Amino acid sequence: MAASEATIEVRELRKRFGPVAAVDGLSFTVVPGQVTGFVGPNGAGKSTTMRIVLGLDAPDAGSALVGGRPYAALRRPLQHVGAALDAAAVHPSRRGRDHLLWLAHSHGLPPRRVDELLEQVGLAAAGRRRVGGYSLGMRQRLGIAAALLGDPPVLLFDEPVNGLDPEGIRWIRGFLRRLAAEGRAVLVSSHLMSELQDTADHLVVIGRGRLVADMPVAEVLAAASDSRVALRTGARERAMTVLAAAGATVAATGRESLTVSGLAAERVAELLGAEAVPFSELAAHRASLEEAYMELTRGEAEFAAGPEGEDPR
Amino acid sequence: MSAGTGTGTGTDTGTGTGTGAGGAAPYRSKLPPARDGFWQLLRAEFTKLRSVDRWLLTLLAGVVVTVLVSLVSAGGSEMATSDDGGGSGTEAADRVADSFRFVHRPLAGDGSVTARVTDLTLGRGTDAPWAKAGLIVKAGTEPGSPYVALMRTHEHGVRLQYGFEHDVAGGAVAGDAPVWLRLTREGDRLTGYESADGERWREVGSVSAAGLPRTARAGLFVAAPETVRVERSFGSLSIGAGPSEATGVFDNVRLEGGGSGGSSSGAGGGSGAGAWQDEAVGPPSGPAAANGPVGGTERAGGTFTVTGSGDIGPRPPAGDLTWMSLAGAQVGLIAFAALGVLFITAEYKRGMIRTTFTAGPRRGRVLVAKGVVLAAAAFAAGLAAAVVSFLVGQRALRAGGHRPPQFPEVSLADGPALRAVVGTGLLLALVALFALGLGALLRHTAAAVTLVVVPFVLPLVLGGGLPLGAVEWLFRVTPVAGFGVQSTTPHYEQVETVCLPEDGCMPQGPWTGLGVLAVWAAVVLALAAWRLRRRDA
Repeated sequence: MAASEATIEVRELRKRFGPVAAVDGLSFTVVPGQVTGFVGPNGAGKSTTMRIVLGLDAPDAGSALVGGRPYAALRRPLQHVGAALDAAAVHPSRRGRDHLLWLAHSHGLPPRRVDELLEQVGLAAAGRRRVGGYSLGMRQRLGIAAALLGDPPVLLFDEPVNGLDPEGIRWIRGFLRRLAAEGRAVLVSSHLMSELQDTADHLVVIGRGRLVADMPVAEVLAAASDSRVALRTGARERAMTVLAAAGATVAATGRESLTVSGLAAERVAELLGAEAVPFSELAAHRASLEEAYMELTRGEAEFAAGPEGEDPR
Repeated sequence: MSAGTGTGTGTDTGTGTGTGAGGAAPYRSKLPPARDGFWQLLRAEFTKLRSVDRWLLTLLAGVVVTVLVSLVSAGGSEMATSDDGGGSGTEAADRVADSFRFVHRPLAGDGSVTARVTDLTLGRGTDAPWAKAGLIVKAGTEPGSPYVALMRTHEHGVRLQYGFEHDVAGGAVAGDAPVWLRLTREGDRLTGYESADGERWREVGSVSAAGLPRTARAGLFVAAPETVRVERSFGSLSIGAGPSEATGVFDNVRLEGGGSGGSSSGAGGGSGAGAWQDEAVGPPSGPAAANGPVGGTERAGGTFTVTGSGDIGPRPPAGDLTWMSLAGAQVGLIAFAALGVLFITAEYKRGMIRTTFTAGPRRGRVLVAKGVVLAAAAFAAGLAAAVVSFLVGQRALRAGGHRPPQFPEVSLADGPALRAVVGTGLLLALVALFALGLGALLRHTAAAVTLVVVPFVLPLVLGGGLPLGAVEWLFRVTPVAGFGVQSTTPHYEQVETVCLPEDGCMPQGPWTGLGVLAVWAAVVLALAAWRLRRRDA
């Protein structure tokens, strides 16, 4: 793939904090036109990776390129990359509008642009108030406005859904999808797969700094729901015989219910029909994204039960 | 029933992904290209500074505290001036010391006076490195009248002095070896010469005779300034002044030229002996006054043995009024330091520094922009504080009895006062920069503020408790040296004065002192820039 303006390429990235390998040989690419979910348990290295992409932390090895160039080499960086890392990272005594204004001044953008964005993220009225009085949701919106100030083709959001109310969550999902639909590359991190279920098109799953999965959301789901079929039948013994003969593993889960693995639902129905075994219900088990994620990160969740504290900084 | 559609729901997004990556055109912004030069960074940092009300209040507090403390310290300084103090002479005479033993004859027009100073000894109890014996041409015997003098001093070799302020060094005098001196008037120039043997002469200096009348008094003089002792150890200060006396021995005395008589007045004290007049010029000064006039002259053949006391030179003002009226900066600087530290540590505390460095990845440049904005704001506020402090402080000092002639009036139009006031603005700006650098290095507000304030406050507050040498060292090399810019006390090498740094008498020049602080700020900022670039944000 040609190094498009709107890509993030992470290659063999390594970063240690003392004895801990925060990022350990990580490679992935974020392409334009879709929302890429960046998932992993707390402490998996998501924030560290994002900071390296933004040139804030220096990697020990490997590279992170934005539009084919390291961040430090970007001229007018806010027009290439927008990032919302930490919603709390605003001086509480500063007014929301002033926070955007200094950022705008740093790139010679007109104050008009600031007002446009406040309008877009729904803070037009709150812009004149001090950030200290904002709810977490309002701060998230302010952070998103800051990321969009330079109208960049690449966007990074670190846990943007944190602390939002359901209405806010719905808003941000729509917002992210719209940004991707415009042809931007959008990388969104989360430690909860479920948050990304309806937002992301593609997932980069990491655990302990290593890549666990890098695939479309649909494939992740398919892999996890693969070949488990719940069957309800009055003729339990016959069904078990027929399906076992066809190579499936069959387990009885109740007096009239079975779980079949190793055969697709269509094949199960076909076999039972051919042998005239009656059944009342046949359902392909649909894994939730969360379950799929648990499956993927089993054994990688080193810090899963740890405190909220995110990566070492 | 949902048989066989396990992956059905995912399909939509799945296909969407495929086309998204390959098909949709990458995003192109419709914004005009931005600019991210240094000017833009300056505007960004200025917007940051002005948009936190608490910081502006800190700056305002710095101004108010500076003015109030200046006012209080100036108002608290009472000075009882005796009315008869001004009675001794003109204002000019009060600003100079002019008392000595004078053995003289008239000198009309061009001519010269020559003598060999064979010995200069100090009286008992006298410790006067600047005791002097030599030749002088003076307008008259009025204290404060113009003169040019060539002399040997007790510890500072041969000097040519004139106009009460000026001092030109000649050669060194080895031990108690005799030294030949000659002072020549030719037209409107007076030239001093020295010699070891009376044959090979070396010019010490040549100065204008401006102010000297055609017929002046010329002859021998001896003076010995008061002995000043400053002793200070932990907690105690004692300043002592003692009477002094010096005796000079002259021979080979010759006065040539337009004397009232002829071309050549008796070499070695022949013919014109009666013409030499011997008197004490000026009021006896200091403790010696109680004992009546000091000194006298004995003649034995061609040898004059002259004993005298006093001094000829500038008399520095009894206190530095400009320094006193700007004292509030010593406390006000705390607010400036706090602002300098907060301007960077507030960003670290909340992680906003990451936003700053994503907007400006060239971190050194960001730090420079921060420094420029901070220094400009601190200078403006500091200058305002200094001007107001000076004006109200001078009023308070006058009201407290600091009046001429002992304390000449100072105004903002005076060069040294203006330098001190503008320098105070610069000083406070440099304090803020020093604080910015420490804040960037330590990334911790309280630690950085403490580290800025301590080196300033300790020498200023504890200065009085340390031995003089230690205090002078502190005021020379630590950041507090910057306060030297507030000092307007003139320094005369040829006058021994009681000189305490905490009273504004700094061990180095005003700009040198400010330069020391500037070096500190520059070093700390350079270290900070170096670490900013290397460390993760």
